Amino acid sequence: MSERDITGLLFAAEMYGVQLDQLAARLGISETGARAIVARWRQQGYAESARLGPGRAWVWLTRAGLAACGLPYQPVAPALSRLAHLRAVTAVRLALESTASYAPAGAYWRSERRLRARAARRVPAREHLPDGEVHWPDAGPQPGSVGWAGECWAIEAELTRKTIRRTAAIMTEILTRTGDYGCPAVEVRVPGRPPRHTRVLYVCSAAARPVALRARGTLGGSLASRVEVRRLPPGAGLAGLAGSAPGTASSPAGAAGS
Amino acid sequence: MIGRYAGLLALRGVIRLLGRLLRAAVLVLLLIAALPVTLAAAYAATLAWFLGWPPRQLYRAAAWCLPMLAAWLAALAAAGQPWPRVAGAPYFAWLAMWHEVQAGRYLLAAVTIAPAAIPLGLLAGGLAWAWRIYSLETGSGGLTPSAPAAFDRRQWRHQVRTARGRIAAPGAVPLLLPNGSIVAGATIRAVRHPARALAVIPYPRVRSHQVVIGTTGTGKTTLLLRLWAGFIRRGLQLHAAGAGSRPLLVVVDCKGGADSRRIADRARRVLREAGAAATAIWPDEATLSLWALPPHQLTSTLVDMIEHGTGSAAYYQDVLAEVVRLAVAAPGGPPASAADFLGRLDAGWLAAAYAGVPGEAGLLPAAARHVSDVALRFRTLLRRLGGGLDGPGGFGDADAWYCILEGTAEIAVAEAQARALVDLLAWYATGGSAARREILLAVDEFSAVSRRLPIWQLYERARSLGLAVQVSAQSWQGLAADEDERYRVASTADGGIWLLRTPYPEPVAALAGSRRVVDTTRRLLGVPLWAHEGLSRAGGTPVVDAEIIRALAVGQAAYIYRGGVTYVQVKRLVAGPAELARPVRLAGAPAVRVGGGGAGAVALDATGIPGVRPRTDPLPDVSPVLDEAFGAEDR
Repeated sequence: MSERDITGLLFAAEMYGVQLDQLAARLGISETGARAIVARWRQQGYAESARLGPGRAWVWLTRAGLAACGLPYQPVAPALSRLAHLRAVTAVRLALESTASYAPAGAYWRSERRLRARAARRVPAREHLPDGEVHWPDAGPQPGSVGWAGECWAIEAELTRKTIRRTAAIMTEILTRTGDYGCPAVEVRVPGRPPRHTRVLYVCSAAARPVALRARGTLGGSLASRVEVRRLPPGAGLAGLAGSAPGTASSPAGAAGS
Repeated sequence: MIGRYAGLLALRGVIRLLGRLLRAAVLVLLLIAALPVTLAAAYAATLAWFLGWPPRQLYRAAAWCLPMLAAWLAALAAAGQPWPRVAGAPYFAWLAMWHEVQAGRYLLAAVTIAPAAIPLGLLAGGLAWAWRIYSLETGSGGLTPSAPAAFDRRQWRHQVRTARGRIAAPGAVPLLLPNGSIVAGATIRAVRHPARALAVIPYPRVRSHQVVIGTTGTGKTTLLLRLWAGFIRRGLQLHAAGAGSRPLLVVVDCKGGADSRRIADRARRVLREAGAAATAIWPDEATLSLWALPPHQLTSTLVDMIEHGTGSAAYYQDVLAEVVRLAVAAPGGPPASAADFLGRLDAGWLAAAYAGVPGEAGLLPAAARHVSDVALRFRTLLRRLGGGLDGPGGFGDADAWYCILEGTAEIAVAEAQARALVDLLAWYATGGSAARREILLAVDEFSAVSRRLPIWQLYERARSLGLAVQVSAQSWQGLAADEDERYRVASTADGGIWLLRTPYPEPVAALAGSRRVVDTTRRLLGVPLWAHEGLSRAGGTPVVDAEIIRALAVGQAAYIYRGGVTYVQVKRLVAGPAELARPVRLAGAPAVRVGGGGAGAVALDATGIPGVRPRTDPLPDVSPVLDEAFGAEDR
């Protein structure tokens, strides 16, 4: 098992499942190379792959694969209703990881699947979970450090329009949270403690973007200044569907997107 | 002689008749002369009768008209009118009105006199309405002997209609007032309580002991949900402002079954809207750990969970207690789970654990003969209890716990669970966790499982721990096992007693006491004429009318507090989007807004972060990395 295999397996496990082109982009290889790697994983019983929807085949980890990675997740294939959303979140992650400052700053992605697994250990709280977190560790004055070191960003990939009120409520919930996911309820919002998320990054389709902007406008000044709204990167839509270009339109499968 | 006497009587009759006619004529002339005031008063009194308003409502309306009067007078003064003219403005307006009427300009006449006539009319209407109520309450008014009772029944219907209209109006009944008081619903009628349109319960009363009695299907759950939601939301407001600990609601539903689960789900949705971050439903979805108790408390709880006999069985109880103590307090720490505890109930394990411990090791040979029996009993008990008490988890994990005990189906199990839950909560309240909480313990039909923990003991214990206890039952008899306990519970409910429809309200109604009323008897001259002679005397009548309680409709409740009662039409809380509470400002604290729909039900200060001062330094600009990742934004 090479380092590339480990990276790929962990990546697929954390994102619920990935499409071959995104896996290839993450590993820095061609799609043909990625297909060969996946074939080997399948042979070892670590992964499954299938063409679940439009575009490239999807890859997800089996029980054995998750166990090999030491991850306490349920081995399930990506749900059809979430394919578009999963692809969009993965695209956001890849876009952020491809920036020049990401790796030097030691930033890392904490996936929704990990957050959900942590939260599930506690009482069901019906709390909103972001699609991911990006942690920028404190680095001190050294090469590669960024001005926002020490921050934790909540990431939301938005494909479909929600109501402004609902979106604003989610923004508020994320920005006022002080505790980690899975913490006791008493620590979720503790007066006097700094918020968990310094900012929340909304990466939106063209349909969802106006709602996010207007929801941000309804928040108070100090909260609104902590909300960043951006467009989905190219290739974030499910290939083969109308509107698969970044943030041009929502797809039917994206109805379950958060 | 007889003829002269008859003539005298006739003359007296004629004089009396003339006197009455004269009085009536003067009255009619006065009413006509003050026609605008008369019309306003008649309208106000009729409206108050139709809506079942107390006279105070009209007085308040008159008071609210005073700014209009002041503005009118100020406008006259500003227009250059001399002061005597301004002072006599109502009189001059009255004269001017009649001139306008004579000229046929009725609208102008009404506008001319309105600033003075409306407040006066409201005041006069209020006085007339108050007199009408007084005369019927005292029995000195009305055409027929049954008029007072009929008037009361009719007024009740009018008051109920008004209260129902009020709770149906969107946004008319918020959960909290700006001062933090909890709004239970609309007031139907108040006796020896302030006659407000909304039935308001100050938060400290919810933090005191309360009793709720009402049969099935009367709206008890709706009322309780509203009180719980109010407790959570206000508690979170105070917590966010740094003025109190975070609230914790623990509901112990001792009925069990599918109905309890439906209520639990409803409670979770409602409490979520109120701001509760998590509502745990025990034992279906969440667990607690009995093994988190300190060893001495764990020993006591485990022993009390086992049913004992009396007489010679006391010997076995002592043996059992000693074996449990040895198992729990063994060197190496207390057990961490049921399996761990059962594993210790073994003579060999105990001998190995206490090897070399002087004193304790000497007890083992005597206890060894009974260890297997004790193990069998606990194995059976813990199997029947299920995993709900085997952890992980604690009361600190959620803002609200809805604990379902199968008190109807499995009484013995429910009794043991109740005992364990109360001990766990007591330990938590006394500082078993780092975070201090404002705790409200709500127990429904606790008497069904209170054989091993009498409810008065729970009550007293909770009081000593600073917990507020809310006891609810379907009837007076369901409140506690015997009459002494019932009275003890009811009479110490310093947060008030809620009565919904119940067939036997007398004991609770009696606790509200009586009030002094004037009762008048009159001489009947023949239906429907009364003589102008009678007798009035002061007497006592119950503050709470038991007949009204027996006839309460669904969603109606009587709130008894300090010798008064407020009849309430309870506003149902639905788990939909709730209106945002208005910002409230606590002394020395920034503005706080709590509530709102769905995920946004959080406590905020001006920054949106609980209790955090506004950040003065701007956040670093992250545009470079975002532009690189997602493309430049139009600015």
